[in-house]
Amino acid sequence: MRLGFARFLKILFANLFIQTSWSFFSMQSMGFLYSLFAGAKKDQRDEIIKTHKGFFNTHPYMSSYIIGATLRAYDEGNVFPEETRNFITVAQTSFASTGDLLFWQTLRPAMLLIAAILAVKCGVIGPLAFIIAYNVIHLFHRIRGIIDGYQMGRDIIYILKAKRFTMVRHIFEMLGAFFTGLLISLASLEMNYLLLIPITMLFVLLLIRRFPSVLIILAVLLVFAIMVMV
Amino acid sequence: MNFILLSVIGSVIILDKYAFGEFGISQPIIAGAIIGALFGDLQTGIFIGAMLQLIFLVGLPIGRDIPPDGQAAGVIGTGSYFLLRVANHAGHALCLALILALISAIIGGALETFVRRHNEKLYHLFMKKQKNLYLYHLFGFIPAFLRSFCLILPIFILANYITIPAQFPQLNKELLTIIGLSVGFANSIYLFLKKTTVVYIITGALCGLALLVF
Repeated sequence: MRLGFARFLKILFANLFIQTSWSFFSMQSMGFLYSLFAGAKKDQRDEIIKTHKGFFNTHPYMSSYIIGATLRAYDEGNVFPEETRNFITVAQTSFASTGDLLFWQTLRPAMLLIAAILAVKCGVIGPLAFIIAYNVIHLFHRIRGIIDGYQMGRDIIYILKAKRFTMVRHIFEMLGAFFTGLLISLASLEMNYLLLIPITMLFVLLLIRRFPSVLIILAVLLVFAIMVMV
Repeated sequence: MNFILLSVIGSVIILDKYAFGEFGISQPIIAGAIIGALFGDLQTGIFIGAMLQLIFLVGLPIGRDIPPDGQAAGVIGTGSYFLLRVANHAGHALCLALILALISAIIGGALETFVRRHNEKLYHLFMKKQKNLYLYHLFGFIPAFLRSFCLILPIFILANYITIPAQFPQLNKELLTIIGLSVGFANSIYLFLKKTTVVYIITGALCGLALLVF
């Protein structure tokens, strides 16, 4: 069973809008339906809207895997609404936690850290390198997600064990750690290290104790005000 | 650069985070580079963007949690610095720009909660008229854009017209580096320090010291 290039492009484009109408009540529900509509045949749309108008939330980049798999179920024609809903309930949670861990917690901060160091040292190369490298990986998942989701159907859930998730995360954890150490190169020899060390320790403490992020930004503001005044 | 046009550009940049694609162009380091290029001072834009990026490195939008708006901080920090610099000393401009960036990040987070609550109405409208899915879904662009525009425009108006008094504290690049570096260190230690990665952090620190000394 093949997806077809024009249909694939429509789904990919619609998938970029998955967060547009994000709300606390239904989260990405309308975005999910919008992406399914882009790839669904006209006679499938009523059934899709009836079955999937409820809550939906997953990692935005990983949603393509679920969309591909759901469309496959409709194309095969053997759609049991309860089964499809159960699959989506399980898949959205699994892909969300994998995506959050891979992208938000590892890959993006590691790449931004590298970009910040490169930007200060080499100028425009930093931001450019980030935009290119990050979007190669991001778009790879959006594109492969649709294709693999459509090819594997409901078995797509097993792809979470693949190297594209585990190995990439491991590599970027190592890179992030290495560049954490390398951050010291941004300092200068004349810099006041008596300031740097206690402020760093204060913020490590705040983060480890899981203070709300708003309070951490207020603490940055306070430390900044004290430093400027003194 | 006209501050209204800059507000529109800034709001469009932030749409990347909240409404379309998440390509990463709204990250402070990229937004800083774009705004710096618009003002013809790429280097300063990148520097301010990089420092704000280090401050907002940990901002994990997991589930229902909405962290402070680092994207707005990037746009407002760099944009207001360039607007303030026209009529003020660079040290004063940098100091006020950083304050505005940090405050706007907190306000931006609160506004985002408001927008997401507003989007619930779109969902309820869709439930009543299910044929209008495209319309109600894409209508989400408008509150997302207006949210950023309403946050950025007043700050840019202020930055465009204000004359900072001489008694106002100044911020130099070294002090900003200390703040960016210490918060960035804390953020990345929080994210990447594990038993398995200690060796990489030490190796990186040794390489960093070598770069610093030589």
